[in-house]
Amino acid sequence: MSTETAAPVQMLNVQVDGVWHQFPKGTRVIEACSQAGKYVPRYCYHPKLSSPGNCRMCLVEMGMPKMTPDRKPVVGADGKPEIAWIPRPQISCAQDVAEGMGIRTDSPMAKECRQGVMEFLLINHPLDCPICDQAGECRLQEFSVEYGQGESRFLEHKVKKPKNVELGPRVTLDAERCILCTRCIRFMKEVAHDDVLGIVDRGSYNSIACHPERVLDNNYSLNTVDICPVGALTSTDFRFKMRVWFLKETKTVDVNCGTGSNITIGSRENKIYRITPRENNDVNGVWLPDSHRLNFKYVADAHRLHQPTVKGQPVEWRTAIAIAAEVLKSKPSEQIWLLASGRQTNEELFLTTRLVNALNIKKQHDILPRNGTADGLLIAADRNPNTNGAKVLGLTTSKPGGRLKKFVEGVRAGTIKVVITMGEDLTKAGLTEEDLAKLDAIIALDILPNKTTPHATVLLPASAWVEKRGSMINLKGRLQRLNRAVNAPGEAHDDWEILRDLIQAVSGSNGLYMIEDVFKSLAAEVKEFAGLNLSKIGDLGVQVIQEKTPEPEPAEAAK
Amino acid sequence: MEVPSDLLAKIDEAITHYPASKRSASLPLLHLWQEHFGFISDEAISWIAQKLELQPINILELVTFYPMFRREPAGKRHIRVCRTLSCAMAGSYELKERIAAAAGIDLKKWAEEGAHHANAGHGNPIAVSPDGQYSIEFVECLASCGSAPVAMVDDNFKENVKLEDAAKLLKLQRSDATMPRVRPPHPREKRVVFKNIDREGWTNDLNCYLNDGGYKQLEQALKMKPEEIVDEVKKSGLRGRGGAGFPCGVKWGFIKRGGPKPTYLICNADESEPGTFKDRYIIHQDPHQLIEGMVISCFAVGANLAYIYIRGEFPEGAQILEKALAEARAKNFLGKNILGSGFDCEIYVHRGAGAYICGEETGLIESLEGKRAYPRIKPPYFPAVLGLYQCPTIVNNVETLCDVKHILAMGGGAGYAKLGKPNNTGTRILCVSGDVKKPGYYEVEVGSLTMGELINDVCGGLRDGRTLKAVIPGGSSAKVLKAGEKYKLKDKEITLEEIPMDFDTLAAAGSMAGSGGVIVMDDSRDMVETLNNINEFYAHESCGQCTPCREGALWMKKITDRIIEGGGTAKDPDVLKNVADNIAGKTICAFGEACSWPTQSFVLKFRDEFTAKAKKDIPPPMPPEYTPEQLVENEKIETLHDQRTGAPFAPAATK
Repeated sequence: MSTETAAPVQMLNVQVDGVWHQFPKGTRVIEACSQAGKYVPRYCYHPKLSSPGNCRMCLVEMGMPKMTPDRKPVVGADGKPEIAWIPRPQISCAQDVAEGMGIRTDSPMAKECRQGVMEFLLINHPLDCPICDQAGECRLQEFSVEYGQGESRFLEHKVKKPKNVELGPRVTLDAERCILCTRCIRFMKEVAHDDVLGIVDRGSYNSIACHPERVLDNNYSLNTVDICPVGALTSTDFRFKMRVWFLKETKTVDVNCGTGSNITIGSRENKIYRITPRENNDVNGVWLPDSHRLNFKYVADAHRLHQPTVKGQPVEWRTAIAIAAEVLKSKPSEQIWLLASGRQTNEELFLTTRLVNALNIKKQHDILPRNGTADGLLIAADRNPNTNGAKVLGLTTSKPGGRLKKFVEGVRAGTIKVVITMGEDLTKAGLTEEDLAKLDAIIALDILPNKTTPHATVLLPASAWVEKRGSMINLKGRLQRLNRAVNAPGEAHDDWEILRDLIQAVSGSNGLYMIEDVFKSLAAEVKEFAGLNLSKIGDLGVQVIQEKTPEPEPAEAAK
Repeated sequence: MEVPSDLLAKIDEAITHYPASKRSASLPLLHLWQEHFGFISDEAISWIAQKLELQPINILELVTFYPMFRREPAGKRHIRVCRTLSCAMAGSYELKERIAAAAGIDLKKWAEEGAHHANAGHGNPIAVSPDGQYSIEFVECLASCGSAPVAMVDDNFKENVKLEDAAKLLKLQRSDATMPRVRPPHPREKRVVFKNIDREGWTNDLNCYLNDGGYKQLEQALKMKPEEIVDEVKKSGLRGRGGAGFPCGVKWGFIKRGGPKPTYLICNADESEPGTFKDRYIIHQDPHQLIEGMVISCFAVGANLAYIYIRGEFPEGAQILEKALAEARAKNFLGKNILGSGFDCEIYVHRGAGAYICGEETGLIESLEGKRAYPRIKPPYFPAVLGLYQCPTIVNNVETLCDVKHILAMGGGAGYAKLGKPNNTGTRILCVSGDVKKPGYYEVEVGSLTMGELINDVCGGLRDGRTLKAVIPGGSSAKVLKAGEKYKLKDKEITLEEIPMDFDTLAAAGSMAGSGGVIVMDDSRDMVETLNNINEFYAHESCGQCTPCREGALWMKKITDRIIEGGGTAKDPDVLKNVADNIAGKTICAFGEACSWPTQSFVLKFRDEFTAKAKKDIPPPMPPEYTPEQLVENEKIETLHDQRTGAPFAPAATK
């Protein structure tokens, strides 16, 4: 709905548990109850999916205003309309509020319904919480505490269903735990547009399945695990790795593409166990592609760079920075080129511009573009997470990578003799290893070895995106925050600190001690950041570049 | 996958019946495939999915939902024995065993096989004789309870099967369903819809129908305004004959005319409420009556396309309807510009495949759309607004649609309303089965007979030496009425025998007229066994969409199973009743009530029989659910790893 044409929203009077509230027209009853502070338990309802109304957990008492024969509401002694209660309980997930509607979420009838449904859901459930990955974040557990019975009345054998079924390469099904809410089926149909899941058999034997010819291998398959309210669908990658209550949760953003999907990193004792989407309706809704969420293993790679080196020999940081500065100062500025990165944070990019200024290499820099194909959902064609940051800070032009051709020519012609790279492999920028060998010096920041690192004169071990704080601007112009989930290995430093030290070594003191200081300078100097600081960005980010022609692909699916 | 050209031609033709959505052709294609190849192979699933531009899972969902579809071959002759109440009361369990013995099928072996099957329902997997000649399965209600026990041999239908004739059944060549027969109506009957049923010299072809004044009402209707017909139906007071008894004219009035979407009419011929067997005879013996009623109704509600959703267990009925539709088409009672009126109407037959829930109108619509028959939530999916393909849709029972023709024949609603009683107008076909001497169908004016008159007069009374114990008055989901009970009406108190057979009194007596299926039980019947039979039906038929019915229906069946096996505890009657209470009124469709009303009423009214069988303080131990080997899951649990090296920790060396 576009904001310009939206008419003022009609507000409706609705009574929730005896108290009158106002809700905008079009509010689902279940949402209205939540807004009124009366959370109604639910399994099948999901705000981003259609409502099948099948779990029956959200049954409430509902009523409409009593009408006189001439269709006028009967007004009670309190001046409020009297409500004629419907004798049967009603589901609250499939109806919108109406004027004068009454809802009872905690009446004896509503409570009895929930108790009944809870019991039904548990009679054929294996109750294997001790070995279930969902334990700790399981709706079945949570609502059992509130509405369950202390004792089972079920004396019969449970229905046996398939267990440990690989629905696809990344999702494992335990059909006995499944409560058949069909969230996964609806997600695949309605959001991923890949109708591979269904229900086979009938009645109590119903179970989720896919056809062997078309398995659940969609790049969004792990979202079914997120929305599964019980332990039926589990992530094959995360399965049996860690109890969820031990996980430290860090709110940050994904860096695999320009969408900047909001995520939560689950880590324990400096090890990342899983990444899950975090709700942000302006960015990714509640979804995340599998390829993005599973792309964290490299952070714990045994080959991570953890010691500064000069010509391959480990040195102390002080020495490394001093040598790097010496190299840079020894060359005339026209012989130096800097390859920045669309993966750098704004803070790092900002300090990079300072280095550029200090070295007086005003046009001898660019970023390495990363282009893939957009998937029409959350994966953007631009696989750099912070191209907009690089543009705003002037490290690239409106055509990222546009200067690279000249750069390569310069190296080959011998006019460029020293290259600084901010985590990029120079061979990906068009240079060959022979070209690299010809250079007088390479100063490289990086986290893992690549084709450039063996040629680096000074190699400075930096931090991965999960190891640092900072901010990025996504493709839609939203400024978002990165947070540290784990520490960088060994002696690897935070990138901004490396840059600060380098600038200091090249041009003297700069008075930056904390990342907040960097942002403060950034806010003072760059208009897009004016008036902001890291805490003001908040968990959901702020729009800093108004969208001109919004790229249609990233957020459509998120709605 | 090589598909023979004749099959392919049939498939392509079937798809044309569904101009709005190819997906709707899923069930027809599966039927065609199974008829040709004997079962639905995995390749068939993929082939059909591709043909209909669907995903294979869409077809797999159907094959596993509808019990008539087999994924493994059956025997050369496949026998279906009705398992449901009236047939069970007439000995269908023993019948099945005898047939199996005659066919050389080891039922015990197949039962064990079934125990390993994910969905261990009856007939899953189907028991096949070692020579592959015969296979047998129990099926739920074949809708011929008045001639119990009944069985089907392939598509041939056999009623009143005698136990001693079990072996003969294997060689059955002719079907009883199409056998001409003559049976004059009982003097208390008022034959309107059933006028031609079992009538001497009557055949189901068009000429016979036309000679009897057939399609006159259609001609008459086409000269009226559609709104006038709706008004006449409203005036007639006709209430739906499918079970709920909703006023037909009011239902039609919900259709908004002139909208952008087409309106559809669907004839609900999925007759499957145990105890009900009336539509079967209309379809087999008088199909043109139904077609005429449907075309008039289509004209009245503004539908140009209609479907007859006929249950899969009526294969001959489907053929008869196809033939009758072709005859009607040839004479322009159907098709373009019917009888020069400018009104176009087409009707297609759509076969179900063994799912009771398809009788629920929104479940039926889903099934007709080529999906699992999951009833829809109301609101918002009221068929008159968001029905078939999300278009306005009217779903009416076979008998109701036939009545429409008769309303016009009687000069309009007022004429029809003279029959029966106010708010309970017209005639009703009562289907009586169980322990009476003359079970069968009797069309009477609504309320013109009392229960006692129906049983003792019309149906010849109970078998000699027996007394009445209980009656289920409106199909097996209706609450049971107990002999000797007194019912308080507005002005008086009456006994079971004094209840007039109308909608309102039966409702006042705490039960319902439902679909008109009256099941009579005499004092020889064990009510725990009876309830168990009903529970098995509903547990088998629950679609499984919503929680209470999916879990509760099977739970109730397991409790009554256990009581019968001698493991009943003193708490069981209360638990049973409470489980039923937790289902009724809490589900998406009325199946919740249908499956819980029997339990609620049986336990309430025959509690002594339940407590007599369920006496234990604690249940006897059950055999273990899993073997120790099964308890060890085949899971790989990763050992701890050294964080720096990534290598598994070696056991600490002892120093």
